[in-house]
Amino acid sequence: MNYRRFNGSRIIWILCIAVMILVVLAPVFVMFKYSISDRASVVTGGKPIPLWPYDPTLEQFRGLMSMERFFNAFFVSLEIALLSIIISLIVGTPAAYALVRYRFPGFMVLAMLLVSVRLFPDIVSVVPVVEIFIKTNLINSVIGVAMAHSLLSMPYVIFIAMGIFETIPKDLEEQAWILGAGWLYGFTRIVLPVALPGLAAAAIYVFLLSWDEFIFAYFLLAFGELSTLPVLLQKILSWTPQHNLISAISVMLSVPVIIFTFIVQKYMQAGATAGAVK
Amino acid sequence: MAEVKLQNICKRYGRTEVIRDVSIHVKNGEFITLVGPSGCGKTTILRMIAGLERITSGSLYIGDVLSNDIPSKKRGISMVFQSYALFPHMTVSENIAFGLKIKKYGRNEILERVKWAADFLNLNELESRMPKELSGGQRQRVAFARALVLEPDVLLLDEPLSNLDAKLRLKMRSELKRIHRKLNTTIIYVTHDQVEAMSLSNRVVVMNKGVIAQTGSPLEVYNSPSDIFVAGFIGSPAMNFLNGIIIKDEAHLFIDFDGFKLIIPEELRSNCEKYSGKEIIFGIRPEDITDKRFSLNNEENSIDAIIEVVEPLGDKDMIEAATGDTVLTFTADPGKTESGMHIKIGFNMIKSHFFDKETGKIL
Ligand SMILES: Nc1ncnc2c1ncn2[C@@H]1O[C@H](COP(=O)(O)OP(=O)(O)OP(=O)(O)O)[C@@H](O)[C@H]1O
Ligand SMILES: [Mg+2]
Repeated sequence: MNYRRFNGSRIIWILCIAVMILVVLAPVFVMFKYSISDRASVVTGGKPIPLWPYDPTLEQFRGLMSMERFFNAFFVSLEIALLSIIISLIVGTPAAYALVRYRFPGFMVLAMLLVSVRLFPDIVSVVPVVEIFIKTNLINSVIGVAMAHSLLSMPYVIFIAMGIFETIPKDLEEQAWILGAGWLYGFTRIVLPVALPGLAAAAIYVFLLSWDEFIFAYFLLAFGELSTLPVLLQKILSWTPQHNLISAISVMLSVPVIIFTFIVQKYMQAGATAGAVK
Repeated sequence: MAEVKLQNICKRYGRTEVIRDVSIHVKNGEFITLVGPSGCGKTTILRMIAGLERITSGSLYIGDVLSNDIPSKKRGISMVFQSYALFPHMTVSENIAFGLKIKKYGRNEILERVKWAADFLNLNELESRMPKELSGGQRQRVAFARALVLEPDVLLLDEPLSNLDAKLRLKMRSELKRIHRKLNTTIIYVTHDQVEAMSLSNRVVVMNKGVIAQTGSPLEVYNSPSDIFVAGFIGSPAMNFLNGIIIKDEAHLFIDFDGFKLIIPEELRSNCEKYSGKEIIFGIRPEDITDKRFSLNNEENSIDAIIEVVEPLGDKDMIEAATGDTVLTFTADPGKTESGMHIKIGFNMIKSHFFDKETGKIL
């Protein structure tokens, strides 16, 4: 009897997971299918589009690979994403630490101010940001876009990092101080390593945000040579290319995300503070 | 080894005073215990000695040095936290070596010392494990090893045994005594468990609400508590307290309770005489109360009582007996008492204590 009940709930679980996978993967599959479709499988002249291309091809990818603009944009995007991670972690982590360890009156006000950039639609908040960046000569530069992306992701980085630091008992640091560590040593050798898995999650978040971000990148790079992948995509879309080319670009867009997430999630094992205090 | 002197130490958080005028002189190599109920300020005192908490006023000497403003790492102290505070991302030996590395010991010296500490605390097999792979008792020992490798002058211990089960706690207690005997470090030990305090140390400091209630050897605080708080806190099962009035007639001084009287013995007379006619609190420990059936004492100072609860403890029974409205706790040989029984109980009056009702101080 017990067995049957167990079985029933198990089937429901499997169903749920299956539905979830389907919902998540269906668009990905369609995208992937288009990216390897030959022309005949896309332009069918009224016939239904096949579930699998008649003649799978890597033509689109080959085309992209030989496209210098694409490569440039790819590396600009990568550079900006990594720089954004560095900036927002370097600034956000100590800020979060200070906020957690030295709670002061008006804390919630500051927390609200931190997210205030994101209280408005990007298309609105981009205006003052671009204005400031023009004045400080930061438009049309990789560092400028990275700074804008850091600005966007900073509140999240700070909130994620605060959540992590709150779970790290103060005892650990105090113990380090008693054993002879200075404040900086304790922070870098104890707090940061223990916080690393959580910070890795924050890094993934920043990467995703920066990699996909369009509006700020578009306005900040509008009058220069540089473009990021989303900006390039917009330029290509403006001459309405075929589904299969867009899809190929999209696949190329998602590959670094997958690789990056894969690398970073290694640091994300659960239970980093396990065994510290009991 | 070093002595630690606290002189008139006060600690305030904003307006709330949590430690008031605490003075303790811990001698070289002494094992002293701070004991008191939860929230009485034991941890705060320890953290002030460790340099983790600012001292509001008063002076702290470690060795001969005024240490109020000396940073933790220069105080020559080690501390074992109640939570153990093991570094979760380091192996056992990395944890133990942490302080040695900071102090820039040579590679070989570090290896040697870590090995010594691991041997000393029976951690040999565990050196490459992570903290999460250890049991509570093992974590405890790692925390001790990490504190001991630095050969501290003073070792501060904040309820280090409170997370262990009863059996392990007993084992670690004797381990602690062994550590102290071998290393002769000055140890300041904090606990809220009075049994632990009594069994471990040369001297106990009983604290209540941020002040010291009494300092003395375990026997002193047990036999001659300075006030009603210490009397009630030290000892298990706790001392019985009864409200009474001291009355004097031609022959005797006695204490009148609601319904019965007890004669105050000659030896205690001088203290009590000046309170005649006044209300006081009478205290007597459970072991100084006897069931008359099993004792050969005179008939004086005995009263009738009804047994209400019998709790077998194995080697003895713990008994609650009522006389009128008062309930008295005492112990008796096992298996000889049943609830509902009418018995006569006797008081060993020489061992009784009398407290001023207003101040709570001993008469
Ligand atoms: N940061 C703080 N701000 C205000 N009050 C505090 C602070 N830290 C501790 N206290 C107060 O100081 C008192 C003493 O605390 P402490 O931690 O020293 O108690 P304790 O004797 O160690 O108790 P326990 O046995 O529960 O550990 C408590 O009443 C506590 O509320
Ligand atoms: Mg405490």
